[in-house]
Amino acid sequence: MASSGRRPGQSGPPRALNILRGLLLPVLLAAAAAAEPTATIHNNNWAVLVCTSRFWFNYRHMANTLSLYRTVKRLGIPDERIILMLADDMACNPRNSYPAQVFNNENHQLNLYGDNVEVDYRGYEVTVENFLRVLVGRHESAVPRSKRLLSDEGSHILLYMTGHGGDEFLKFQDSEELQSHDLADAVKQMKEKHRFKELLIMVDTCQAATLFSQLQSPGVLAIGSSMKGENSYSHHLDSDIGVSVVDRFTYYTLAFFEKLNMYSNASLNSLFNSYNPSMLLSTAYYRKDLYERPLNEVPVTNFFGSVMKTLHTDAAYTGFLAAHDNETSMSIRDNLHDHSILKNGATARQSKVEKDAQLTPHGWTEVLLEQLEGKNTDVVVVYGLATMGILLALSTWLSM
Amino acid sequence: MAIRHYWPTAAAAVGFRLVLVLFGGDLHLASRPEVSTPLTSLRRLAEGYWLKQASMSPYSGSMYHGSPLLLSVLGPLTNSRPDGHHAHVYSSLIFVAVDFLAAMLIRATGQKLQMARNRSLKSLDLTKALNNTANVSAGDVASLIYLWNPWAIVTCVGSCTSPIENLMVVTMIYGACSRLAPLAAFGYVMATHLSLYPAILIVPVILLLGYGPDAPPPKLFLLKGSSASKSDVPDNDKTGRLRGVQQFSWKPVLHFLFWLFIWTCYVLLLSSVVLKEVGGLHDMFEKTYGFILTVKDLSPNIGVLWYFFAEVFDFFRSFFLIVFNMNIIFMVLPLAIRLKHRPCFLAFVYTAIVAILKSYPSAGDSALYLGLLGLFANELAEMQFTFFLFFGYIGVSLLSPVMHNLWIWRGTGNANFYFATGLAYTCLQTVLIVESVSSMIKHDRKLRLLVTS
Amino acid sequence: MAPPPPPAGRIVFLSFLLTAAVAAAGVASAAAPGQEEFTEELLLRPLPDRKALAHFHFRSSAPPADSVGRHHHLFPKAISQLVKKYHISELELSFSQGRWNYEQWGGFDPMSTSNAKPPGVELWAVFDLPLSEIDVTWKNLTHTLSGLFCASINFLESSTAFSAPRWGFKLNEGNLRYGALPREAVCTENLTPWLKLLPCRDKAGIASLLYRPSIYKGYYHSQKLKLRSSQSVGIILDQTLTVVLQPNTVSGKQLHSTRGQLQPNWSMRHLFNRKLSGKCLVSKSSKIFIEVDKGIADKINKTGSDLPWNNEFFKLSNYPDRLIKDLNELEVQSSSLYEYDVSQYSEEQPFDVGITWKLPLIWSCVPSPFHASRFLMGSGNERGSIALSFMSTNLHKQIFGSPNDCSIKAVIFQVVPWYVKVYYHSLEIFIDGNRKTISEVVDKIHVTPSEDKLLPGTLEMLLRFPCNMQSATLTLDFDKGFLHIDEYPPDANQGFDIPSALVSFPEFNSARSYPEIDASLGSPLIENFQEDSIVKSYTEALLVPLTTPDFSMPYNVITFTCTVLALYFGSLLNALRRRISEEERELKKTVTRHGLIRLWLAKLRGQKVDPMESGSSSELAGSKKLLFKVVFVAVAAVLFHYFSNNS
Repeated sequence: MASSGRRPGQSGPPRALNILRGLLLPVLLAAAAAAEPTATIHNNNWAVLVCTSRFWFNYRHMANTLSLYRTVKRLGIPDERIILMLADDMACNPRNSYPAQVFNNENHQLNLYGDNVEVDYRGYEVTVENFLRVLVGRHESAVPRSKRLLSDEGSHILLYMTGHGGDEFLKFQDSEELQSHDLADAVKQMKEKHRFKELLIMVDTCQAATLFSQLQSPGVLAIGSSMKGENSYSHHLDSDIGVSVVDRFTYYTLAFFEKLNMYSNASLNSLFNSYNPSMLLSTAYYRKDLYERPLNEVPVTNFFGSVMKTLHTDAAYTGFLAAHDNETSMSIRDNLHDHSILKNGATARQSKVEKDAQLTPHGWTEVLLEQLEGKNTDVVVVYGLATMGILLALSTWLSM
Repeated sequence: MAIRHYWPTAAAAVGFRLVLVLFGGDLHLASRPEVSTPLTSLRRLAEGYWLKQASMSPYSGSMYHGSPLLLSVLGPLTNSRPDGHHAHVYSSLIFVAVDFLAAMLIRATGQKLQMARNRSLKSLDLTKALNNTANVSAGDVASLIYLWNPWAIVTCVGSCTSPIENLMVVTMIYGACSRLAPLAAFGYVMATHLSLYPAILIVPVILLLGYGPDAPPPKLFLLKGSSASKSDVPDNDKTGRLRGVQQFSWKPVLHFLFWLFIWTCYVLLLSSVVLKEVGGLHDMFEKTYGFILTVKDLSPNIGVLWYFFAEVFDFFRSFFLIVFNMNIIFMVLPLAIRLKHRPCFLAFVYTAIVAILKSYPSAGDSALYLGLLGLFANELAEMQFTFFLFFGYIGVSLLSPVMHNLWIWRGTGNANFYFATGLAYTCLQTVLIVESVSSMIKHDRKLRLLVTS
Repeated sequence: MAPPPPPAGRIVFLSFLLTAAVAAAGVASAAAPGQEEFTEELLLRPLPDRKALAHFHFRSSAPPADSVGRHHHLFPKAISQLVKKYHISELELSFSQGRWNYEQWGGFDPMSTSNAKPPGVELWAVFDLPLSEIDVTWKNLTHTLSGLFCASINFLESSTAFSAPRWGFKLNEGNLRYGALPREAVCTENLTPWLKLLPCRDKAGIASLLYRPSIYKGYYHSQKLKLRSSQSVGIILDQTLTVVLQPNTVSGKQLHSTRGQLQPNWSMRHLFNRKLSGKCLVSKSSKIFIEVDKGIADKINKTGSDLPWNNEFFKLSNYPDRLIKDLNELEVQSSSLYEYDVSQYSEEQPFDVGITWKLPLIWSCVPSPFHASRFLMGSGNERGSIALSFMSTNLHKQIFGSPNDCSIKAVIFQVVPWYVKVYYHSLEIFIDGNRKTISEVVDKIHVTPSEDKLLPGTLEMLLRFPCNMQSATLTLDFDKGFLHIDEYPPDANQGFDIPSALVSFPEFNSARSYPEIDASLGSPLIENFQEDSIVKSYTEALLVPLTTPDFSMPYNVITFTCTVLALYFGSLLNALRRRISEEERELKKTVTRHGLIRLWLAKLRGQKVDPMESGSSSELAGSKKLLFKVVFVAVAAVLFHYFSNNS
């Protein structure tokens, strides 16, 4: 009765289905690959925005992340291609006197937590493990698509992180650390798995520059808010909310982007040059030795927006046709399979009930137990123990 | 040299326990981590009994991890609650009786050991040499230590099943000392059934049955024999001396193995009777022995393993489980080789080692080996560090509750302080074991010097 | 404890449910099968403590899949895929913040029984699958829902987080799974995907009233999604949002006193900061109801005012299209609904209904038979007890009269996480302060004890209280578990939550009956009010502080422990290894070596030397022993090598 079939049983048919899918997948991929030109071009943009701090007094970290979220959305990256990780709930926090609103400026002009925020990882889900899983793409099979970074070798990825850090580490929720080695390993794996073409890592923490020291994969550009030994400071305090609402580095980054729209041609170089150490109170650090292109030719919308070259093809595109055929055949099988499951369902349940009703026999004691049927087992055992005592006394006496 | 007021003192100890049980009110000893462990807690037993009454497996819901036989014997007692007494008063009365019985068996064992000792010393012509040192009646001392040991009292009054486990170990040693194979086998099977670790005591039990109780090393008898043969002594005297060297007699051992088999089958049968329809033996093994070996419960106790496994990284867990469990087995063979002529002492050392290294140690285990330690009062008279050990034990037993209280109840302390007392306690026990073993070896050497000189 | 009903019974039940749904959904769906439909409704109600309740109800329905295939016009595709993929026959997911105030806001109406939900996330689903596949499906479902609704619902996948109640929550045959996350935050990001399931989103129709800051400012907020699906009817998706708001009025000076004060006047604009500009064009019907409680309705009836929307107590700003009266079993009117159809309003002529009070009015909502609350007892971090208390509201006297020998049934369903180790044998029941034996009160009990790191404990209990009882208390002792350091959340010192318990009273039914209206009206909201639903109430969620180890200690603990054990091992082995006799012999040997010259001199002098002989003989024996040891080790090594190669 206590065990009511709770143990996850192995289910044969779904596994078979997975194998079927596994077989079909390479076919799909091959079809897609055949249609694609050999040289990878920039064809999509992704953003991973991470706020790693918990607790109310770290409001500004969430505001930082949400500001960036709003900016990249404004510049054209759709919600499906943004992985937003927020370690705590500030908008509906009981301490927030502006429910469902987050501001990054004390003038309260702009509600960052508008009507259309999609948070992919939040609260306790923001862990180093989940962060690395998102980057390298090794998830459990059940994890939905919206929580995965489905980038490919043509992707430009923006990785923005903010929180509390130190020399070569970044704290997650005050209980774990992401080390520069972990980050470098993850980026290396991403490169090997062709998960990005270019990657911009932007970090706003204390000693942010140290986080990049282990990076060695080509195509990676890194911006940190401060050098080793320097702190990154918050910009200003909002006395209505009661805490600082934005960090300096992010504040000036946003100030730069507010002037831009989707069609602006500002280069990354102009962004980097806009950081003024006397305003930041720290020295912004760029690591560009892994990045081939000259920065003054790369527009910021390469990472912060979703602007890419249009490609003219002469022939009609055939890749999707092949893929579509495969998919339909699969779905038919899927349906057939579903029907069989439904049919089997009832009978299986019935047999389970019958099985529950039966008693499991106990081998060699069965004969004896039949005799004892109906008696209280406790009484039987007490008698048994008494017999044991008598037997013990007898045998001891005999062997004396 | 017998102790003068033995019986009044023993009766007073039993009386003291009865007073505590009947009039002490609820001392809340049952929830002390020093007293009851997840394996021995009577409260968990009551929960297991309740589950069984509700026709569920007593082992479902990680509460009960003890023997199904205890469930049948003690379970019904936990149900009834007389007015004016704490919940488990009937069981506590049983435990008082059990403790008294264990003390009596320890005394009888001591007397057997004393006889064997006197006989062997006589055969070595050493009676005179040793008479100038104190020669106390070890059995009386040991049983009084057991009866008056505050830890034994606390264990007995604190509603946990350790007294029964201790009784079974003592029964086994007594049975083996007096060469009663069925009794020894019974004690062995029950002790192993109840708490697994006494399984390693099979080595001293077989040695006891094969060679008889503790004696000086056989080499001494040979030495004595050879020296005697050199100096011309009458033949009858010589044979008398050689009788001291026992040959390994297989008969009691085979007898023991036979009874071992019988009792094992019987206990398994009874267990399966209890567990029929609710689980089964497989469930029992998994939830008792499996629970002991895999240290699943991380609640604090006087040992060190709970904090270790609460903090250790998950991927090292199985490695350290193996290491710690093997640690007990590692010392079995070296000790057996070195102390094979003193199997009873060997049993004491094994019990003490188990008390250090078992996964859920409690004060009851310490009470047992301290009681057994009294059996060797004559041999270990020259043990070192006794002052340090005595006050160390007192210090730990006073500090440990204080640290526990600060951490759990007041929230002003920290787990580390409580763990530190656990560490200190483990160190003390280590010193005790090492010192007792080396002073026993020294004692043998002294005998040898006396024989050769 | 009861054997599961045969499958036939379940089918009958299902079909009954479905027929009920069909009948209730109105003739419309029966007349035109294969039509996807969408309706939107809003119910507003003044509450006795000067607050206002708003209840949004959206229903989308899709006909059985065979008739339309996989294309949908109105019905959200995400949901239909979900239903198909996981073979869900029923599912309910709710996100709530705050706690429904059963004393003030009522405990005996359809609103409190089906829309008052425990704080955080609650999810239950009934699957149409073989029992062995349900747990895996549940796991996948939680992941999918977590992606769909931007919440950490995937924490319910672990077997420690969900349970399979048999009859305490809802009668089923083992294919129901229930899980709750009391601490889950609920905010805009959960509402947005919920709104995206509506055909007009929040751009038009009633949903456009949902201005986030005013919604989340409320005292209670619960957003719910309920799915029912079957082969014959298709999928019915009910989305409800219940909020309790403080009307944002200028005259809100004395908000907290009720005596002798006018209730605050409010209108939709005050509540939501928005006006309604017409309906969502694809919706079949779009209605707004204003409900007044029995307390007010009785008073109006007494005065016998002929204009029900403009009487001496209050005035509604708009002329209602219809007045619907609820009649209970005794044909006494209990509450009334004023209905407005919003389809005739538009952008230019927005709709804004409000209520203006004329006289101070005190009334109270109908409470549930017992007011249930749950709390923790004990101090310290080792153990404690959970207490569940029932206070009688003497409701049965109004319903049953006051016979003395009657009894009231109550069902308790409680899930306890594994680290709260409950001793079920310690259950104690006190009725009016007197201890009772369990068998006197408990009719039926089903316990699934918790397994460490594997299963939560589930307690389902059917109690029978005497009618004249004023208060009852149940207590259960528990021990607090100790976790591995990795199992603590980042804010471990905040404590751990025990999800709300559910108390239901199966003999009490909160359904409303509106005999004046015909079933063809097709208002899903009123339909839901008419459905049979037993009176339920959720208790508080509990916060249990657990002891924490020192999180910075792993390395120290490992090194200390290993040092102590190495100390034990090394010193004991050393004590055993040291052979005092051998040491003495060594000592003697050095002595003899020192004396060699003397010996030699003695030899020269022609004296006999004894010790040399004995020494050599013992040396010989020693070398023999050594040789034997070497051979033994070699043989052992060869044998080991041989066997290890063989195997």
